[in-house]
Amino acid sequence: MRASLMRPAVVLALAVLGAGACKKKTPDVAVTPPAPPAAPAAAPLAVTSVNLGKSLGPDKRVTSETTTFAKNDSVYASVATSGSAGGTLAARWTFQDGQVVDETTQSVGAGPAVTEFHIFKPSGWPTGNYKVEVMLNGAPAQSKEFRVQ
Amino acid sequence: MTPGPENPLGNPLGGPAGGAPKADFSDVQSGSSTTAPATPAAGAGGETYTVKSGDSLSKIAKHHYGDASKWHAILDANRDQIDNPDLIQPGQVLKLPAQP
Repeated sequence: MRASLMRPAVVLALAVLGAGACKKKTPDVAVTPPAPPAAPAAAPLAVTSVNLGKSLGPDKRVTSETTTFAKNDSVYASVATSGSAGGTLAARWTFQDGQVVDETTQSVGAGPAVTEFHIFKPSGWPTGNYKVEVMLNGAPAQSKEFRVQ
Repeated sequence: MTPGPENPLGNPLGGPAGGAPKADFSDVQSGSSTTAPATPAAGAGGETYTVKSGDSLSKIAKHHYGDASKWHAILDANRDQIDNPDLIQPGQVLKLPAQP
């Protein structure tokens, strides 16, 4: 009788011990460290904006954007670029009849940059419509039209 | 009265079409500069200027730096291609040093 009473207790004790043992053996949840952020791929140089104005600030951005100029104004094109590689920018200025007014190239290094191109005509600009095409490594990137009046 | 096909001399005859004189851009001055010049290769600067007809070093300095007397800086940066500072050629590409 006594032995039969003891048996369930022993079984219970073994069960508790077993559960404890099982608990201990439960493998820790594998915490995989977050993957490091992928290194940014080398981005080629790209033209992000082209703005025209009559004057420049020290950061080579136009102080006041405009597309209308007077005959004796200097015309500035401020070209913003970004990318992890350098390249060659060119500004090709043309008149409404297709005449090339000027073409200037500028080497640009890697990283965010602002490059300015400017033209000036001492005898005054003929009135009419003009365009500046910004080319990057020889390929058209962006263009802006402006007017001299 | 027969209008010619074009007006080769560009005389301002006032014709509405085909007679407009061709604009003359021979005296246009230009330049460029950047906040991130390319890594100089063999001493080359990132900023250049293409000489136009009628240019002089002092004129370029005046336009680019706002001070004609800084033409010496342009000369110094281009000793390899300028022998006589009074003689620069249209089409010549000059290196423009940073604000001297």
